[in-house]
Amino acid sequence: MENALLPKKAKLVKIEDLSPDVKLLRVKLSNSSFPTNDSGLTFNPGQFMLLGVWGYGESPFGPSSSPYEAGFIDFGVRNVGVVTKHLHELEVGDTVTLRGPYGNGYPLNSMQGKDIVMVTGGCGIPPIASLIEYLIKNRKSFGKIYLIYGAAAPDNLLFRNSYLRWQKAIEIILTVDKPSPDWKGCTGFVNAHLGKVKVDPDNTLVAACGPGPMTAALAKTLGGMGISKRQFFVSEERRMSCGIGRCQHCTCGDTYVCLDGPVFSYDQVEGVWD
Amino acid sequence: MAKIIPEKEIPSLASELTKTHTVYAPVIKGDETVFSEINDSAEIALNYSQTPLPPKMYFLPANEELFKVVDDELQKAGGIKPFIVFLNLKDLKAVNYLDKIMQKEPADTFYLQRRSVSTLVATTESAVGSHNGSDLTLEKRNNSTYLAHSFTEKGNKILKSSLFKEAPIPEKSAQEPLPNHFDELLLDSGLLAQAVEWSRENSPSTWEALGKICLSCGICTYVCPLCFCTSTEDKTSIDGSECTRCRKWDACTLPRFAQVAGGHNFRPTQKDRYYNWFYHKFVRAYKEFGQAQCVACGRCQKYCPAGIDIEKILTRLVEDYKKAHTKKT
Repeated sequence: MENALLPKKAKLVKIEDLSPDVKLLRVKLSNSSFPTNDSGLTFNPGQFMLLGVWGYGESPFGPSSSPYEAGFIDFGVRNVGVVTKHLHELEVGDTVTLRGPYGNGYPLNSMQGKDIVMVTGGCGIPPIASLIEYLIKNRKSFGKIYLIYGAAAPDNLLFRNSYLRWQKAIEIILTVDKPSPDWKGCTGFVNAHLGKVKVDPDNTLVAACGPGPMTAALAKTLGGMGISKRQFFVSEERRMSCGIGRCQHCTCGDTYVCLDGPVFSYDQVEGVWD
Repeated sequence: MAKIIPEKEIPSLASELTKTHTVYAPVIKGDETVFSEINDSAEIALNYSQTPLPPKMYFLPANEELFKVVDDELQKAGGIKPFIVFLNLKDLKAVNYLDKIMQKEPADTFYLQRRSVSTLVATTESAVGSHNGSDLTLEKRNNSTYLAHSFTEKGNKILKSSLFKEAPIPEKSAQEPLPNHFDELLLDSGLLAQAVEWSRENSPSTWEALGKICLSCGICTYVCPLCFCTSTEDKTSIDGSECTRCRKWDACTLPRFAQVAGGHNFRPTQKDRYYNWFYHKFVRAYKEFGQAQCVACGRCQKYCPAGIDIEKILTRLVEDYKKAHTKKT
């Protein structure tokens, strides 16, 4: 019987500052590449993995690298708690632990042939970044593709090195709350810029990752555009410990965010009391 | 012919079993009956009603070492010595339900390993019919005699002891215990689930009031034979060369149970957390496993330092739910 709580040992092969408090950590297995699922992906964009350091514990993160990349997996880690503080102190060559991927991920099959709008804020972008890589790799299977990405200030926008490459295939709208003098993008909340998106509402799927107030505002604006809550997919954040539907930390009413999510259509989460 | 054992020989049986197994059983200590590892002279409290800590602690320890890493290398875990637990039928039922929970894929290998090396010996005054989930059940037939029912190979092994004698099945004179009101409530898990779910919106004052009374100490969860929520925690040796990943009992009523890094708490009030405790046991568990996660052992109410009577709450919720339902139809 496989021990579901036993993590794999992985090595940090690259560390990069993405913003003042977010680092990109690239991990690699010692002797092999990562296994792939039935679709040939290392994970489904939107699934999460438990990345950890022996001695300090493990925390859930949505990988940000291309799901077609089996040699390594990238994580965008914000220094915000005990585990992430220690992840930030590691150096290239250090050992980390890894479990997963867990959960469902964004509905890739339902996205085929549709216009795709991705909306995210701040630290919600890693799983969206991996979804972008998936969409670009299969660019011909989709209609128009937009990314609306908001952050507190230009310095807090993550994956800045990727924008030029992404822009060749998708439209990007960047927005910040506090612009710097040389800022050329938009300002304000992400949902204020949904009007710039030119999509066929009946044939559009929206993928978001961000805090509750952001997704609630988005649902309202999208409704006005004729995009229903069933076409709007959000990734839910909860505390996770086991990742496999047992420890009870991530429960939300009748659902286990780790098993049934973390991605839900908005009609599934709207108004849920828990 | 059947196998019987005189009541006065049961301590000798337990003591005989300690030669090959670690034996845990309810014993009287001061004013309480507690589960304890027993030695040869121990008296077993065969007819206990509650112990503060339930037998789940032998299968899902309060603090369990999952992995040990020394100098970056994972150490092989040592085996667990076979053990025997003497328990009553309610605690047995709880272990059987925990088995079901832990067997659900992906299975909990740590729990199942402990279960695979354990033998459950149930003691009861009720008549025993078909397989009840124990390996061996000792049924009290009269003041001095117990009738043995073995259901598994592990049970058969214990029956080989010369303390068991071949005899005709003794006449039953021991009083059959009557089900109490809590037991009866649990017979309709579906109704309980509906009532608890209904009460969130239709009886908010119940939960407001309980949120104020509950001390968020977690005791109801720790003493519950079926609560199983956990957290993991790593411990390191002072020089950093050794690390152990431990799994510890947690409690969903504790303030930070649903708090994420950065400080956001998804269940910020005691009312939220206390309702979730009920919701998990009586609603989510019912939807997931078809049965409330409760065996009416009464520990949660006996040991609640705030004196919350859970049976009373459930009874009232069911009554209110029925009343509201009758009015509508």
